[in-house]
Amino acid sequence: MWEVIKSVLAAFLGVQREQQRLKDFERGNPVAFIVTGIVLAAVLVGLIALVAVLAAG
Amino acid sequence: MRTLLVWLAGGLTLAGSSQVALANGWNMPVGVSSLSGEIYGLHMTIFWICVVIGVVVFGAMFYSLFRYRHSKGAKSANFHENTTVEIIWTTIPLLILVGMAVPATATLQKIYDPSDAELDVMVTGQQWRWRYEYLGEDVAFNSNLATPRAQINGEEERGEHYLLEVDEPLVLPINRKVRFLFTSDDVIHAWWVPELAVKQDSIPGFVNENWVRIEEPGIYRGQCAELCGVDHGFMPIVVQAVEEEEFDSWLAERKEAAAEEAMGVDREWGMDELMERGEGVFGSICASCHQPEGQGAPPAFPALAGNEQLIEDADWHIDTVMNGVSGTAMPAFRNTLNPVELASVITYTRNAWGNETGDAIQPSEIAERLEE
Amino acid sequence: MAPKVPPQPILEQNSTAAEAGHGQAHHAPPKGILRWLLTTNHKEIGSLYLIFSLTMFFIGGIFALVVRLELFQPGLQFVRPEFFNQMTTMHGLIMVFGAIMPAFTGLANWMIPLQIGAPDMALPRLNNFSFWLLPVAFGLLLSTLLMPGGGPNFGWTFYAPLSTVYAPPSTTFFILSLHIAGISSILGAINIIATILNMRAPGMRLMDMPLFVWTWLITSFLLIAVMPVLAGVVTMMLMDINFGTNFFNAAGGGDPVLFQHLFWFFGHPEVYIMILPAFGIVSAIIPTFARKRLFGYASMVYATAAIAILSFLVWGHHMFAVGMPLVGQLFFMYATMLIAVPTGVKVFNWVATMFRGSISFEPPMLFALAFVVQFTIGGFSGLMLAIAPADFQYHDTYFVVAHFHYVLVPGALFAILAGAYYWLPKWTGHYPNLRLSQWHFWLSVIGVNLTFFPMHFSGLAGMPRRIPDYALQFADFNLASSVGSFIFGFSQLLFVAVIVLCVRGGKKAPAQAWGDHTADLEWSVPSPAPLHTFETPPTFHRPAH
Repeated sequence: MWEVIKSVLAAFLGVQREQQRLKDFERGNPVAFIVTGIVLAAVLVGLIALVAVLAAG
Repeated sequence: MRTLLVWLAGGLTLAGSSQVALANGWNMPVGVSSLSGEIYGLHMTIFWICVVIGVVVFGAMFYSLFRYRHSKGAKSANFHENTTVEIIWTTIPLLILVGMAVPATATLQKIYDPSDAELDVMVTGQQWRWRYEYLGEDVAFNSNLATPRAQINGEEERGEHYLLEVDEPLVLPINRKVRFLFTSDDVIHAWWVPELAVKQDSIPGFVNENWVRIEEPGIYRGQCAELCGVDHGFMPIVVQAVEEEEFDSWLAERKEAAAEEAMGVDREWGMDELMERGEGVFGSICASCHQPEGQGAPPAFPALAGNEQLIEDADWHIDTVMNGVSGTAMPAFRNTLNPVELASVITYTRNAWGNETGDAIQPSEIAERLEE
Repeated sequence: MAPKVPPQPILEQNSTAAEAGHGQAHHAPPKGILRWLLTTNHKEIGSLYLIFSLTMFFIGGIFALVVRLELFQPGLQFVRPEFFNQMTTMHGLIMVFGAIMPAFTGLANWMIPLQIGAPDMALPRLNNFSFWLLPVAFGLLLSTLLMPGGGPNFGWTFYAPLSTVYAPPSTTFFILSLHIAGISSILGAINIIATILNMRAPGMRLMDMPLFVWTWLITSFLLIAVMPVLAGVVTMMLMDINFGTNFFNAAGGGDPVLFQHLFWFFGHPEVYIMILPAFGIVSAIIPTFARKRLFGYASMVYATAAIAILSFLVWGHHMFAVGMPLVGQLFFMYATMLIAVPTGVKVFNWVATMFRGSISFEPPMLFALAFVVQFTIGGFSGLMLAIAPADFQYHDTYFVVAHFHYVLVPGALFAILAGAYYWLPKWTGHYPNLRLSQWHFWLSVIGVNLTFFPMHFSGLAGMPRRIPDYALQFADFNLASSVGSFIFGFSQLLFVAVIVLCVRGGKKAPAQAWGDHTADLEWSVPSPAPLHTFETPPTFHRPAH
């Protein structure tokens, strides 16, 4: 699971090692990546919103 | 690495020397309000950050283009992907952005704090003029483009403040926090004076807030910044910032004049004075749509000259001017114009350009209808 | 740009088809106009898209030149403000929906099947329908100029209530034409996704696809996500205008700002729809002419996806001046600044690809290099615009006009031109005329920068956008912009000449037109590409790592 999260985070930044990518693609089932991607995108939105709320006081 | 440093140093020297050249009509004005200098500072900071990044990136690019030319027999290396490099070029921009976000947030917080204002001015956008109302002071007026059409059409030489001059400027005191309340009677406009660093949309049905504390007396010019129809380019803003005492005496004068005008409602007005007053009101308020000769611009703006419904039905005419026609561009003028102005402009349109009805509508009659 | 279709390839195709056992099912293709009306061939439809887009580019360009002519000096000389507003509006609408988007769709039609080794698009008849909706949509849109009250005059962003209560009567036709263009885009996007996901050559995995295919896959998802929002918002306008609703009419309890939120929720991803495929094209061209692998293929794919996701979170930065609450301003400012990171990754990747390469400067490479520099300049001004307090000064001025034109003209359009020069040998079998191409390039670069660079200055000095006449202090900048625009506009006629000459003849191009090191599948078919390719799927060989 941690591997998946790491890969998705790497994707968000546009940074990924070729070996790691090949390993990811060996898994065969993309569902875990897609779900993690959606969840982390939502987390990103929440995070920016949180920072904005805190900064706005 | 050495090359990179040389590039950086070069970029910064360039930055220093061109500062002077940039400050003269090519760049954002530093402005005269308490926040405009800060906004200018943010603008220049982010600009120089971009310049430095640009010098580094384009430097590396043009170096590669020059150094590794195929025509000079360059053999391509076979490397790709390097996680360290990739992490560096994502983190550095991220850090720069955080560094930029912090001061930007601080400035934004100040802009969003209109508390403790000493003067409230309601700014209303209308096609195509601005209306200013000093809240609680019973002083209100419209501010129209003063540049003659002849200059726009090239029949006369253009003046120094071509398109940036108005009949009545907004007068504001310096060193006082002035709160603006923006709204609109028709479409969306935007009130913008670069020297004050204030730009805010005025939106029908909304009231937006913003504020300014002007630090230097002077005349500051701006324009409507949101496309609002045919004459969007012709609704300038002029702010005249004056010393505090001067402002107080100006305001007192205007209050007196307004009170005098209110007295005029009760007396009987003659046809000639109504026509004279009405012509002025028509020119500044109505002519932009219905045209100076009342010929209109159908289908959006109907003709008034020879308009049968208008000539036959005075009651309908008065109602239309006071309450507008919903679903069209005709706004309600009951709150924008006073009874004298309403009566005189209605009288004028009922008697000008061959609409010879002979009706003289009295301000008292309008005042009565306003109270209904 | 029509492919030359000699009879031989068709015979060839028939013989291969006969081997596959269904040769007798083929009819002779219809002749003349019917052939183009009824074609389901991805190459022919691709050419139709490209020709259509080029036509629209010239029509929109003429509108732009009318605008620049009027702005050549202060005063009203050539057109009245009524017509001026129609010209700015139509210029924007035609260029966005009629020129840039169909150009990318045309390239996608031509190149995606060739790059993934598919015989055609997955849904060929739908493909034909998607294209033929476009001339209808834009014929209708252009016809509004002749209607009483004139065409749309409220800017390409058509903010309500200027576009509803205060709009000319022709607005209903404008809404209909946007609906039709929107349907065309959605159908096109569905077709592209279906093709990419189902029809890749055996052995080609998603992460083996050329970047142009990748960027188009992501673009298609963006299109499907936001085009319905546009359809929704114009339908609400339609109701407001014709059926007495008050969605955007404050007098009836509606909300004019809601319009802007909906519009920009469509509008911002739309901006990326017009730039992501450009990234794909440039990422194909730079490695070819640097004779070196793209530095970070996976990074590029991931950065594209990241940009696409972020594009849904930043619409509010178009609305910093509408009076959003502070939290909203901060959210949109932070999210917008974040986009600089994946965009930077892309630019760094291109530069790293050039580093220690073996670089030559054929016309496609010239346009691609100019793209990198000029797009980055547009990115810089974008970063400046992201700073909300400073945006109060930039908003709705020529600074913004300079910004988005840098991204779209020397950006997206240059990438399209680069792509056209890159693939013309594949389409026609001939190299484009070198001397003419170089003239076209240099005149375009000079013209485009002379047009748009001074706009940064006029904007900062205080000139609002969309005004037909301006104060005297902006005169010099506008003069330069107008001169530049005429240089740029007329030099595009050279492009037409290049295409016509290239279709009719020129230096013959081999299959691998740009060298033996080009590995993408389109270079494995002959030049010109026969009408039918990859009827038996090729085997995909992954380059050795």
